Amino acid sequence: MITATGAVCSGGKNPGEILAGVRAGRSSIAPIQQWDVQQWPTRMAGEVADFNPREMVDDRKLHKLIRRTDLFGLYAAGRAITDAGLVSHRDTLAADAAATFSDRTGVYVGSGSGNFENQYDYFPLLTAANGSLPEFGRELANTVNPMWLLRSLPNNVLGHIGIKYGLKGSNACITNHSCSGSLAVIEGMEALRNGEAERVVAVGHDAPIEPQMVLYYYRLGLLATDTLRPFDVARDGSVFGEGAGALVLEQESSATARNAKVLGEVLGGGYASEATGLLAIRDDGDGLARAIAAALDDAKVNASEVGMIVAHGNGTRPSDASEAAAIRTIFGGDSPPVTAFKWSFGHLIAAAGILEATLALAALAEGVVPGVATLRELDPDCAGLSVSAQSQKSRSKIALILCRGFGGTDAALLVRAA
Amino acid sequence: MAERRRVAITGLGLVTPVGNDVTTTWDALLHGKSGGAPISLFDASGFPVHIAAEVKDFDDRDLIDDRRLQKFTNRSHRFALAAAEQALRDAGIRPTEADAMRWGCAVGAGMMGVDFADLATTHQHSAADGELHSELLLTDGPANDPLAFCRSNCAAGLSLLTRRYGIRGYATSVHTACASGGQALGTAMKLIRRGTVDCALAGGFDSMISPVGIAGFCLLSALSPDNDAPQRASRPFDATRNGFLLGEGAGFLVLEEWQAARRRGAHIYAELAGDGNSLSSYRITDSPPDGDGPIQAMQQALASAGAAPADIDYLNAHGTSTGMNDRSESAAIRAVFGAGVAELAVSSTKSTMGHLIAAAGAVEVAICALAIRDGIMPINANLNEVDPDCDLHFVRDVPRRQRIRMTMSNSFGFGGSNSCIVLRNPEEVDGVAAARAVARKPA
Repeated sequence: MITATGAVCSGGKNPGEILAGVRAGRSSIAPIQQWDVQQWPTRMAGEVADFNPREMVDDRKLHKLIRRTDLFGLYAAGRAITDAGLVSHRDTLAADAAATFSDRTGVYVGSGSGNFENQYDYFPLLTAANGSLPEFGRELANTVNPMWLLRSLPNNVLGHIGIKYGLKGSNACITNHSCSGSLAVIEGMEALRNGEAERVVAVGHDAPIEPQMVLYYYRLGLLATDTLRPFDVARDGSVFGEGAGALVLEQESSATARNAKVLGEVLGGGYASEATGLLAIRDDGDGLARAIAAALDDAKVNASEVGMIVAHGNGTRPSDASEAAAIRTIFGGDSPPVTAFKWSFGHLIAAAGILEATLALAALAEGVVPGVATLRELDPDCAGLSVSAQSQKSRSKIALILCRGFGGTDAALLVRAA
Repeated sequence: MAERRRVAITGLGLVTPVGNDVTTTWDALLHGKSGGAPISLFDASGFPVHIAAEVKDFDDRDLIDDRRLQKFTNRSHRFALAAAEQALRDAGIRPTEADAMRWGCAVGAGMMGVDFADLATTHQHSAADGELHSELLLTDGPANDPLAFCRSNCAAGLSLLTRRYGIRGYATSVHTACASGGQALGTAMKLIRRGTVDCALAGGFDSMISPVGIAGFCLLSALSPDNDAPQRASRPFDATRNGFLLGEGAGFLVLEEWQAARRRGAHIYAELAGDGNSLSSYRITDSPPDGDGPIQAMQQALASAGAAPADIDYLNAHGTSTGMNDRSESAAIRAVFGAGVAELAVSSTKSTMGHLIAAAGAVEVAICALAIRDGIMPINANLNEVDPDCDLHFVRDVPRRQRIRMTMSNSFGFGGSNSCIVLRNPEEVDGVAAARAVARKPA
């Protein structure tokens, strides 16, 4: 059972606001503000505008211990935990029951990268050491923040959600590029199924918009020159976004006991790898097709029952074409309405799948499949997809959310709205 | 309800500071031979701590015959590839075209992506005055080198392994600091139990013995400053302990669904019987003094294994040799085992190997599997004066020979994630005769 969601990205600070932007055909992709990109061959990204750390995380002391990506993760998770009323419910319980509640509440995190800027904290020391490692060692304590290593931890969101909300159950921090957030949902769901936890917070977060990261993706031919146009004949790459998405998932008995409002349900998930190395993917969509088949099997849902597909649609030529091939493999000539969201706020990498799951749930509640505003002409390589610049109607209350990451990894989630 | 699928450990691979394979490592642990020494990988003479437990004389040429692949690797990835190859050879099984989709992979990956040499080059070119000049990055060497990017990516180790072995099922990379390796094994166990895959390659790898890695731990005062006595620096549970000894390396295990492993006549080291996993939610680096958090992980692992505390004969402790961890872990062990703690043999093999961070959990579970196979418990080296707060029944001075029914291995990470893995002797599953019919002679 899904009892709350949270989200933040350039398109807004909750799923409803972000979805409204998508439905209105609005894009929040704009020239990068975090550094001067005038000389840069690629300049666009979906940055969270007017970024205010204190709005994300109130505790100012914490800001020294965490990074931008962690702020997003803690924000989205905090909104979901508060909306679900987990802590306020625990406060009504007797001490023993409250302790059990905490022990039986898990946290599953998909965590992103951002591993370049953090290392730049050593630049002043390298300058002071002037090429001498012994000098680097001697000057260390005078130059670098003593908490440096803690700021670098990929599992900060996991640890700080636990501390802030007193949650102590089963947990994972998944560092698996773009599939991380979707895997946090899958592993959280499995923890509920096998009884490891009665409720879990699943969150994915990332902040990849930093100079060295943008440059690498550009050199690898993965970034668009201006706009992300999923499945379009003129598409030329992806655009970074940043932010986080979060879900509170509960066993039915947990939701009922709290009298919680149920937004929907995660019906199942599937995941596969293509064994193609870090960057390559197969043309035939093999891994994604197997992930979708596994998700349908896991959820005991027929392909014909799927009401809408939220495609990965990252806008690169090989990914979109092979994604279309995978959808054709599973759905044949009868694809349900397909949409994709990244054109509006960019690719959130580790947070992409879970953020888009929160939006899919909101879209299902309205019965609408938002149009892809940047789509002008469907690429013949992507034929067979019911994708449109105009909004469509969902065939049912069930959405399939697709996600693809480095290492040839593919994840599929099935959610149903209440 | 059908009986739960069991998970068999059928292959081990180790690259550690005390040996570049399983046999050498195991022998060194039984003899309490320390891997600690002055750092040789870079000039650490100016650092507050300039000792570590490095992997020595590492040569993977006969294991990894793929020059092209190696261009995409950093030091920790090479450890991972070597340990994984050892484990698959040991198990005598590897993914084929036909069953590749039924193989999974779960790794605990280190957090240090960027090679120090690349960072220093970028500093010189793009930040010589100490501040990054982003426009200079456009002509910077490492910042424009796709191979440098590939080596630094958090999914790099995983993708190298899945590509090399053609693993096409569920493949995931996890990071919960020092608990990563244990959490990766727990993840793989659950994948086989729930039927997502039938076989898995699972383990952990790490190498933080670099200027930035050592610096990070020095700044937190987490390392033992005993520069003059590197072999004595790691002394978990000793009253004079003063921090951990940083190690590096990799540990990989081949896991198979039990019945399938039996059918093919595989040697089974142990059943990967239970996984427990909790959050301390106390402080990011500090351990709760009363063991709250680790206690729940250990209890869950027992429940997951269908075992009682009295079934555990040997516990390989997290035992980092920091004041706080060892005290907190001792409190947790006492709380879980109660009066039975007197019967429980405990040792921390970090006393000899040092702390392998993201690899530690996987390496130490492999050690538990060897302990079960040989009926012998490795020692907690350097334990001269037991801290009264750590009053446990330690394996000291000489290894203890005893048939082991079940083992427990703890791994606790910065951030408060606690992992506990329980193994069961195969004789306890199938009976002595069936297990010994395929048992190999101990090394």
